[in-house]
Amino acid sequence: MISAQALSKNFTVKERTSTFALKTKTRVVSAVSNVSFDARDGEITGLLGPNGAGKTTTLRMLSTLLTPDSGRATIDGADLTQQRAAIRQKLGVLGDAKGIYWRLTARENLIYFAKLQGMSESSAAARAELLISELGLSALADRPTQGFSQGERMKVAIGRALIHDPQTVLLDEPTNGLDIMSTRSMRELIRGLKAQGKCVLFSSHIMQEVAALCDRVVIIAKGRVMFDGTPAEALKASGATTLEDGFVKLIGSDEGLFA
Amino acid sequence: MKTFSLSRTAIVARKELVDLLRDRKSIFWALFAVAISGPLVLCILYFVTKAVSERIDKITAPIVNAQFAPDLVRHLERRGVKIDANPVDYEARVKRGDLDAVILVDPDFASALAQGYPAKITLITESSRDRSSPIAAKLSREVQSYAARIGAERLMLRGIAPAVAMPVKVEELDLSSPEQRGARLLQIMSFYALFAGLMGAIAAALDVTAGERERQTLEPLLTTPVTTSELAVAKWFAVSSVNLLAVTISLSGFLIALQFVPLAKLGVPFNFGAREFMGFMAVLIPFAFMVPAVLLAMGAAGKTAKEAQSSLSMGASLVGLLPMISFLRQTQAPWWDAFVPVNGQYAVLSKVLRSEAIPAIEWAAMWLIPVVIATVAVYAFSRRLGDEKLLAGR
Repeated sequence: MISAQALSKNFTVKERTSTFALKTKTRVVSAVSNVSFDARDGEITGLLGPNGAGKTTTLRMLSTLLTPDSGRATIDGADLTQQRAAIRQKLGVLGDAKGIYWRLTARENLIYFAKLQGMSESSAAARAELLISELGLSALADRPTQGFSQGERMKVAIGRALIHDPQTVLLDEPTNGLDIMSTRSMRELIRGLKAQGKCVLFSSHIMQEVAALCDRVVIIAKGRVMFDGTPAEALKASGATTLEDGFVKLIGSDEGLFA
Repeated sequence: MKTFSLSRTAIVARKELVDLLRDRKSIFWALFAVAISGPLVLCILYFVTKAVSERIDKITAPIVNAQFAPDLVRHLERRGVKIDANPVDYEARVKRGDLDAVILVDPDFASALAQGYPAKITLITESSRDRSSPIAAKLSREVQSYAARIGAERLMLRGIAPAVAMPVKVEELDLSSPEQRGARLLQIMSFYALFAGLMGAIAAALDVTAGERERQTLEPLLTTPVTTSELAVAKWFAVSSVNLLAVTISLSGFLIALQFVPLAKLGVPFNFGAREFMGFMAVLIPFAFMVPAVLLAMGAAGKTAKEAQSSLSMGASLVGLLPMISFLRQTQAPWWDAFVPVNGQYAVLSKVLRSEAIPAIEWAAMWLIPVVIATVAVYAFSRRLGDEKLLAGR
């Protein structure tokens, strides 16, 4: 269960007026402001928004990578800023950066993160074996991941996020760059997590994906929450017939998609 | 993050070492360069020294107008110098480097000698050419010895002891012991041992800092319970281990090379045995741990591998250039030089090679200064690993 209340994050950007300018101007960019929502156990919550809306920044704050400037959030009752270590054990994160170690095998990648989560050698190996077979990586498990396809790499990355069987799972654009088959198996996997009673929060800019998967949808644009409810409620609120039209109406403009 | 878990640190360190050692190509070339460069320079120096001494022993004197000074020719021949009488086009050939130096006898040489005037000999040489100067010096000494002999004979004919014409005799007493003279040639070893303690760390430091950022594996790592200080210590330990391996390989390379290079034949009684090896290691172990800490702190500052590489090569050239000051310095080193990182190490290594006593304070400096620098650098490194600015890519 994730509960976010009025999370805000600003970045200061230093800029030069020209290439040779000595002075830099600092500009404050508001990436996320006053974002509040809940994501419940046994539900899939979609964080929907155009590129640059603040989805990744929100997920980074929830995964303790960035400290919010204001607002607070709890994950299963643990406070985001006060109990970082506890939060990190509760969370499984597939973040914006999904890199894996090329020179290690898929199995070694998984076991490394298992051990960092405090698992013993034997339970780490057992859990890695289970995930390898569930993700269909058995044939590749003991090869260095250097030669893996993008879909195979994504599987290792998601396995890594789930290695310690976390109750809460954050997924940042988990289907980005995947082909249709891989996208389908990723959706399958996310539904499986829901069936296990996990709390899944995932971000996407793709409407169909959100419509196909989510119990609840949080639409954000320009760092603000525009809508929070079920997909059906989103349609009703916007008065549109398709979710895509509803999305465009709810974020207030269509230029956001290309911004 | 107040807690520091040793077991997590060990997990990260082990993974980093495995990861680094699997990067066969870069590790192999770095270690290969380290293993080969020192011994290679040693061999080159050996052959150059040998060639120079052979050239001086088997010397040929080109003499123009040799017919005017038959007595000089005989003198030179008795001293084992081969004569090349009346070389053609000698000035151009000296200029070109075909001839190192030419003795030009003045046409009036014989008459001047007979009348007791100073007879003129011109030594034609090209002083800007390094390889010619020992030959020119040798020829000059041979002609001087002829002049000294004639002078002594003239004095004796007049019933004067030749010693009268030698009011002062300069005798040289060289205080450098035979070991010290040999060590001068082999100071190159001190330099390359330090060089190994730098080369071994560069590629590895780059890989665990900018490499991790660029492969996008740092962010997932930071969402696990591992803290940035654990990461920093583990990465530092892994890179230092690789560096220590490089240092050991470099020293072993020297040990092996010295078996095949017969320095004793050149009159260089050089000794690099167990005692010197231990002394080197005592200096190089703390050094091998200090350099990676500094490189990591610099490498972590970059947002991309390219930025990291340029800030890291700055650190690398600093380490490489400092001993140059010792190499080129004409005056005695100031007292604080022993406490400057790199320079201090270089000085102590040279003392080990020269079998000199090393004061306890210098040994203390060899360990304490690296410990302080490494602590500060690893702290800075850990701060940078968790820097939000670098994470957000801004």
